[in-house]
Amino acid sequence: MAHSFAAAAVLRGIDLRIGAGELLAVVGPSGAGKTTLLRILSGALFPARGRALVDGQCLADLLQGSREQRRQLRAHRSRLGFVHQDHALVPNLRVVQNVVAGRFGQRGLWRALRSLVRPDQGDSEEVLRVLERVGIGAKMFHRTDTLSGGQQQRVAIARALFQHPTALLADEPVASVDPARARALVQLLVAVAAEIGLTLVVSLHDLGLAREFFPRLVGLREGGVIFDGCGADLAQSEVDALYLLDGHDQGQA
Amino acid sequence: MRRGLVLVALLVCGLAAFLALGLGFGDLVPRPGGLKLAGEFLGAAWRPALDYQADFVPQNAPAFLSVALAALRKTLLFAAAAMSLSLLIGTPLGLLGSALVPARVRLPVRVLIALMRSVHELLWAVVLLAALGMSSLTAVIAIAIPFSGTLAKVFSELLDEAPTTAYRALRGTGATPLQAFLGGLLPVAAPDMGAYAFYRFECAVRSSAVLGFFGFPTIGYYLKRSFENLHYREVWTWLYMIVLLVLVLEWWSAHLRRRFVA
Repeated sequence: MAHSFAAAAVLRGIDLRIGAGELLAVVGPSGAGKTTLLRILSGALFPARGRALVDGQCLADLLQGSREQRRQLRAHRSRLGFVHQDHALVPNLRVVQNVVAGRFGQRGLWRALRSLVRPDQGDSEEVLRVLERVGIGAKMFHRTDTLSGGQQQRVAIARALFQHPTALLADEPVASVDPARARALVQLLVAVAAEIGLTLVVSLHDLGLAREFFPRLVGLREGGVIFDGCGADLAQSEVDALYLLDGHDQGQA
Repeated sequence: MRRGLVLVALLVCGLAAFLALGLGFGDLVPRPGGLKLAGEFLGAAWRPALDYQADFVPQNAPAFLSVALAALRKTLLFAAAAMSLSLLIGTPLGLLGSALVPARVRLPVRVLIALMRSVHELLWAVVLLAALGMSSLTAVIAIAIPFSGTLAKVFSELLDEAPTTAYRALRGTGATPLQAFLGGLLPVAAPDMGAYAFYRFECAVRSSAVLGFFGFPTIGYYLKRSFENLHYREVWTWLYMIVLLVLVLEWWSAHLRRRFVA
C-alpha cells in the first residue's frame, strides 16, 4: 500500500498530483504557502475551497463522516510520518520514549502508556533499528534535550519511521541546522524514503538542496505553483521569479 | 505611560487602605511591661531550651528533647499524610481543569477548585473540628482540602502553559487526545509540577505545625503551651525546629531537582 496525493484548488488554484513513492521537494520563499500545503496533505488542515484527496479519499469528508470514517482518518494519520521544523519532541524524555510515541495512534491507551513507561523487547529492538538507520543508535537512552539540533531532527525522523509510514512529510526539516548538517539530513530523508519506497514530500528553503536530491520540484510563490517539474529543467528565469522580491511582499514572514 | 498610571493607581489604593484603617504609629502603645517582655523574648533567641524551663517537672515526664523529636515527627507525618491526599485529589482535578478538557467539564471543576482553596486550612480546621471532632484525620483533611485546590489550580495552569508542539505532533499521528496528552504534554509539564508539589510540601509542614494550636500533637501545640507559660527559651527551640525542618526539605528538594530536572 502506498499513498498517493491529489490536491486541487488549494491555496490559490493549486492542482497537484503526487504519485505513490514519489520524491518531491516543495520550494519557495517564506510565506509562499509551503507549510499550509504540507499540513493539508497531512490532514491537519482542510482547504476552505477545493479538495485534498489521499488514495482517492477526501480527508475533510472523512472528518465530517461517520464514526467509521473518522476511524479511517485516524488510521490514515497514523501511517503518515510528519517531521516538523521544530522537531516537536518532548525535551525531557529519553530518545526511546519519543520514538515509541510515534505508534500511539496505532495502539490502545493502555498499550501506548506501557510502551512509554517500559517498552517491551520488540519495541526496544525496533526503536534501536530505526535509530541506527538515522545514525544515532548510541543515543537511545539519552535525554532528548542533551542532543544537538540535527540529532534531535534525526530523532523526529526515527519517530516518523517507527510509525511504519507509507508517506513521509517534512516541513522545513533543516531550517534550524547548519548547511553541512542540513545536506546530510536531506540526503538521509531521501535515502530512507527510496529504500522503503515511501512517498516523500519535503518543503525546503534551499533550492540547491532540492535540485541536488529530488527528481521533482514544485515551486510555490504567494500560494500559487510557479513551476512543477524536474530540477534540471528549471530555467534561471523561473528561479528568479520564485525568489524575486517585489514591493508588497517585502517584510512579510 | 500606561504602566506609570497603573503604578500610581496602586499606590493610591494602598494609601487609601492605610487611611481607611486609621493606621498610625501613635496607635502602637506598648502595654505596661510589654517592651521588657519583648526584650526577654528576643534575648532568649540565643539560648534555646534543651530541657524543660519549668521549675517543677513531674518525675515521670519524658525528656524534653525526646518530646521535641516526637513533635517534629508528628509534624512531618501530618504534612506527609495531608500532602499525599492532596496529590491524590489535586492531580486529577488539575488535569480536568486544564484547557484541553471540554468547557462543560472544565468550568464546574474550576469552580470546585476555587471553593476548596478560597477557605484557609485554619478555617477548615475550625469547621471540621466542630463536625468531626478531635482526630488526626480531621487535621489531615483540613490541610488537604485547600492544598488539593491550590495544587489543582497550579497544575492546570502549568499544563496550559506547557508548549504543545509535541502534543500536536502526536495528534497528527492519529493518537487520541488522551494518548497525546500522556505522551506529549504531561511529561513536558511534569518537572515543574513536581517542583511545585515539593514546595507545597514545605507549606504543608508549616500548616501542620500551626494546626497544633488547635491541640493536634504537632510543634504548634508545644509552641503555644511554652509561649503561654512565658517559657521563651522553649519557644525558640520550637521555632528553630520549624526553620530546620523547612531548610532540610529545601535542601532535599534542590537535590531531587538536580537529579531529575537538570
